[in-house]
Amino acid sequence: MNALSTLLSPVVLFFALGLFAAILRSPMSVPQSFAKGLAIYLMMAIGLKGGVEMSKTALDGQVFAVFGAATLLSFGLPFVAYAALRITSGLSKVDAAATAGHYGSISIVTFVAAIEALRMAGVPSSGYLVAVAAVMETPAIISALWLAMRGNKANSDEDSHHDRGELAREVLLNASIVVLLGALVIGAIAGEDGFERLSPFFKAPFQGVLCLFMLDMGLNAGRGLRRGWRKLGVAPIAFGLYMPLIGASIGALCGVLIGIGPGDLALLMVLSASASYIAVPAAMRLALPESDPSVYLTLSLGVTFPFNIAIGIPLYIAVASLISG
Amino acid sequence: MTEDHKKLRLELIIESPALRRAEDVLLDCGVTGWTVIPAMAGFGGKTRWSRGTDISESTDMVVVICIGDAEVLEPALERLHKMLDRRIGVLNVSEVRVLRPGLF
Repeated sequence: MNALSTLLSPVVLFFALGLFAAILRSPMSVPQSFAKGLAIYLMMAIGLKGGVEMSKTALDGQVFAVFGAATLLSFGLPFVAYAALRITSGLSKVDAAATAGHYGSISIVTFVAAIEALRMAGVPSSGYLVAVAAVMETPAIISALWLAMRGNKANSDEDSHHDRGELAREVLLNASIVVLLGALVIGAIAGEDGFERLSPFFKAPFQGVLCLFMLDMGLNAGRGLRRGWRKLGVAPIAFGLYMPLIGASIGALCGVLIGIGPGDLALLMVLSASASYIAVPAAMRLALPESDPSVYLTLSLGVTFPFNIAIGIPLYIAVASLISG
Repeated sequence: MTEDHKKLRLELIIESPALRRAEDVLLDCGVTGWTVIPAMAGFGGKTRWSRGTDISESTDMVVVICIGDAEVLEPALERLHKMLDRRIGVLNVSEVRVLRPGLF
């Protein structure tokens, strides 16, 4: 499968439809609670499939090395992103740190789209990468908070103390982590036979549900971009385009050093290149309420997400096949 | 003719992630009831916003409406005002007449 066939896949085309509809100010919308249900369905489906795959493979040193590298990537990428933003964009320290946190964490929908692209290309990947995705959700938030708080007197007022409990709950028990890891464990316990009974719900309709969700993501991305691009300026928007390439390159380096196969390498690159728009924005509103959500949401959802869906995924798969194939 | 019972009405528009914190302040101050309603859309800080455009729901706004006696609501007002130092939100208070004072 080449880049053109990825671009012309229904998943990408539905995303483009939503994006252009929103840019052209179409009143079309997908109800928020329905979209949230679709997101949970997709996470359950890939968690279950990942768990079934994991039940068939042994956890060896290479797998643990990938987990270790993923954790370090999630901790480390915000520092790279923060430095790039502070040097090039003129964003405030808090906005740069909050945005950087998004780029260390991951986009689960980009990950799902990449798994589908790999499946269509006939490139196998390992189920444990779903757990790697869940592991990469959180460390970036800690790095972002450290970047924002360093040099500042610790804020120990009642409000901050209270928010730490809320933040811990949001960071450790957000929907992505609970559903992904929960479904992964259930899939591993249920195995192939157990999943077979669920396949009419989780296997056959998966592509259609993903198309529906991508339509909504396109609408969200288009509306965010339409509202935010004037406020952002050229340098932050450029950051939203080059940062995924930096992340993917660092992810590729880690994957090559560990020696993983092309499918797993492509997914590690996708995880390193993607930016969160579910777990991290919620954490940032709790921990750094003075940061401007229109900066990081526009960048992660309006710039980086479409870039990764349209250009990034086929590019990362091609590069991974080239260097690891 | 209904009897005139004057109370304070506190209205707080705040981001949904901070709702729990605001509710805890009201509870701490002895407020016995309030209502939370979703805010659909608005404009502020040179930005137009509307509900349902962010899948994380982190930028959705909610409105907390609370009616009570001044001696209960004034301390809550002070603490909520302090809370808004670092957050997006609007806080206002007005005097209202209520018809069933036993509820507040």
